Amino acid sequence: MRGFGRQCRGQGKVFVKLVRQTERHLLDLGASIETWTPEAKDLLHQSPKLGEAQCQRLLRDLAAASDAHRQVVKQSQRLTQGKKLGQCKIVNAYDPTIAPIIKGKSNCPAQFGRKTGILSEPASGFLFAHRVPEGNPSDPSYVLPLLDQVQRAIDRVPSPKRFQVHSLGGDLGVNDSELRHALHTRGILTVGIPTTLEPINPQPSPDEVLDILNASGLNRLRTPHQVHLACASGYSRPVVESHIATVMARGAGEVRYKGLEGAVVQMGMTVMAHNGAVLVRIRQQRLSKRGQKFRRLLGLRCHNVNQINDSYF
Amino acid sequence: MSILRHLQHWLSGQGPHLQTTEFVPETHPIRLWADTFPWEAMVEAVTPSFAQRFPKKRAKGGRVPVAPRMLLALELLKHELGESAEGICQRLRTDVAVMYACGIREVQAEGSTAYFVLPETLVQFRRRIDPDLMDTLVAIQSAAAMAEGLVSPAHLLIDTFPSEQGSQRVTDATTLYKAQKKPFISSSASAAGAPAPPRP
Repeated sequence: MRGFGRQCRGQGKVFVKLVRQTERHLLDLGASIETWTPEAKDLLHQSPKLGEAQCQRLLRDLAAASDAHRQVVKQSQRLTQGKKLGQCKIVNAYDPTIAPIIKGKSNCPAQFGRKTGILSEPASGFLFAHRVPEGNPSDPSYVLPLLDQVQRAIDRVPSPKRFQVHSLGGDLGVNDSELRHALHTRGILTVGIPTTLEPINPQPSPDEVLDILNASGLNRLRTPHQVHLACASGYSRPVVESHIATVMARGAGEVRYKGLEGAVVQMGMTVMAHNGAVLVRIRQQRLSKRGQKFRRLLGLRCHNVNQINDSYF
Repeated sequence: MSILRHLQHWLSGQGPHLQTTEFVPETHPIRLWADTFPWEAMVEAVTPSFAQRFPKKRAKGGRVPVAPRMLLALELLKHELGESAEGICQRLRTDVAVMYACGIREVQAEGSTAYFVLPETLVQFRRRIDPDLMDTLVAIQSAAAMAEGLVSPAHLLIDTFPSEQGSQRVTDATTLYKAQKKPFISSSASAAGAPAPPRP
């Protein structure tokens, strides 16, 4: 991961003179674009020879050029020596949507790039949703949009009432009281999100189960069995790191497509390719013992080899 | 059958006849992987989205475009196999398992044909995919897996990970630029044996 500044997140060296020289040239070059843009728009609308599609394409290009100049002007006013690198600072000349990651590690330079969020099933590693936002917002802001994506997938199933999200697990980064409240409103247990560094108890006593249900206000909606599974899932939360490692091995660690849209497409395709491989493993029953047990508790179907072979004909 | 129609100008050569379903072993990793995708539903999502956002009138007498099923499969295979756009397009020409994954069931190509699908066609397809369509495709795959009873969204885990903004060794822009500068490199070989005119 590339980073700014010296170790321990110090002040980085910025070659202000060099940047100033470059930006002056760019500002001079684009100074007249503001006056040309309305004139060009009028001429484009009046031109009888151009087709509508061609006209739209030229207008789009014009808007892109104007935006680029506006960005250069904005950036030229922001860069001041001795100031801290802000969240909205441009870190890539070709892609203004990349931003430094707010919550970085304390022992390394501030990271920048994309911060992808994933929602995975602990038993198999199937990724139900992913999100590549603009900039790098906080972790709790990922949760609800990702759950909305899962709901859209559930709505596509012929019998959607069979499927519901019972619980959500995460690390301390998503420990947010407002988020917990929003999840409880949706009928989702948050016992898998820790409040301290202590590991979650995988086998809570009946009293603890009752306390969890009462605290979340879901005692009529969720059963003790579901709480037990939620605790086991939360206890096994570190398994998500292996899912991330698998996605990274498919090239998700480096965004190679251009821009935010490119990043979304690359991550989406990587997630789908990963899911394909996961489904092959499920069909061939190549899962860990813990995963197999979890699937049995969830009542998920296990294919045998003959069934797999039959399904291809 | 529709895919064969789309590829008629490439696959109507004089070469040996090959049934990919019979040739690729049932236990081949690419075949197993490809059989997990709900291709029909995914193509049904892609086609109207493209038609709505990119309404384009095709010139009369031109070639039939490459099937979205094939381009979608190539894009997914690219990430599964860690290939470049050029690499995966070349593998489609020579690797029967890749042909199977792309939905080709019968092949009768000639040795002189360089590509079945040009890398720039794949690049253009990829550029047309927007975030909404990408979400839809992932949702379709998840829904198919749930309907089959293979996965359940009951208990989920969330996490984030950073991705560095890297650079492609051969960028999309380079691929398209090369295609504009030297169109004869990729299409002249296929045009020599094909009855239809070369791709513009």
